[in-house]
Amino acid sequence: MNKAHARWVIYLTLGFALVWMLLPFSIEWRSLRPDIASLALFYWVLALPHRVGITTAFAVGISQDLIEGAPLGLSSPGLMLATLLLLFSYQRIRQYDLLQQSLVVLVLLLLSAGIEQWLRNGVNVTVMPLEALVGLLCSTICWIPVRAILRRSRRYYEVY
Amino acid sequence: MLSVVCLVSLFFLRDHPRLLAFPRGATDAVAVTAQVILAPVDGWNRLVQSFQSRAALQDEVFRLRQENRVLKGQTQRLVSLLSENARYKALLNSARDIEDELVAAQITSLSPDPARHVVMLDKGSIDGLREGQPVLGAEGLMGQIVMVGQHNSRAVLITDSAHALPVQVNRSGLRAIAEGSGHIDQLVIRHLAATTDIRVGDLLVTSGLGGRFPHGYPVARVTDVTVSPGDAFAVVNAAPSSALDRGRFVLVVVRESADSIQPGPQL
Repeated sequence: MNKAHARWVIYLTLGFALVWMLLPFSIEWRSLRPDIASLALFYWVLALPHRVGITTAFAVGISQDLIEGAPLGLSSPGLMLATLLLLFSYQRIRQYDLLQQSLVVLVLLLLSAGIEQWLRNGVNVTVMPLEALVGLLCSTICWIPVRAILRRSRRYYEVY
Repeated sequence: MLSVVCLVSLFFLRDHPRLLAFPRGATDAVAVTAQVILAPVDGWNRLVQSFQSRAALQDEVFRLRQENRVLKGQTQRLVSLLSENARYKALLNSARDIEDELVAAQITSLSPDPARHVVMLDKGSIDGLREGQPVLGAEGLMGQIVMVGQHNSRAVLITDSAHALPVQVNRSGLRAIAEGSGHIDQLVIRHLAATTDIRVGDLLVTSGLGGRFPHGYPVARVTDVTVSPGDAFAVVNAAPSSALDRGRFVLVVVRESADSIQPGPQL
């Protein structure tokens, strides 16, 4: 196994993506906020599956819960399962063109959001309104710029 | 594997006090981060404010003085009523009257979770805030405190769809439960029989039942009552008295008057 290089870039970008959740959105537009943290996580899993995996997904999920003030562990399982699927098939997904990749990302986001809603239902936390599905579409559209930015920073800082 | 073990233990220890300390600490950390992000915007607003014209400021001072005069006049009446009330209470040997103690707080941000109506306040446990204390706006009840950090806290609004509170129709004294609808301008009153005496425009106030909210704060005004023939229950909607998505300043009731929790015997 190679020695890691510039690992901090991964954690810094994930941190920025989490801070994005704190930017103020008005209450009507709040559900359109793209889920940049999940997208960044998916990108790093696709790009460096030997560095970023289930544990990182767990940490990102816990941080999301801490930021939202939700019970700990609501967001993690969905992200972990999506990451697991990515780890199984990253070689194939890397070959896809942007549109196909976006569709895969949409499916993964739907999966993780679905699991989160199921857990919320279980512990009696408010379930998302249907408008939140539009937010998932926004996230899917954001995959293209997020991927471009992260790819550029990965190459610039030679993260591996 | 380790993560899965962590998750399972998180589930079983979810009410453990040590574990609950993490979100409380995070409340402060999140608030500070949000402040740092918003510092440029705040700075710009302050700059704009400092260039406000003298005339506009004078206008505002004039308006506020007028308002203050009106409020003072109203308070005078209130003072005499309070003393009258206290005398009656003494006659009835009822609980002694302590004034509600209020702490002024500012809403600093809104929860990023689109499903929930949770706001962040800039006061915390060192200011005397505790979980469960009611939060008031200028026009009525807004919500209650759900998580307290040291310097910041989170409050859930009454329109959150996981929130419900006991209310009373001010006109008829009818008791009901007002549930949040998940829309910022709507409360739902469920399980009222179709023949119940409730009309559009009725003011709903906190009933004080349940011991969480003090008695008598305005909550909402009924906006529509739909009775469809054949249904056992009426569909009643109400609009919160205070504009929950406007304004920044709220009051937290840190100590309630002994009598407002438990209304005395009705005579």
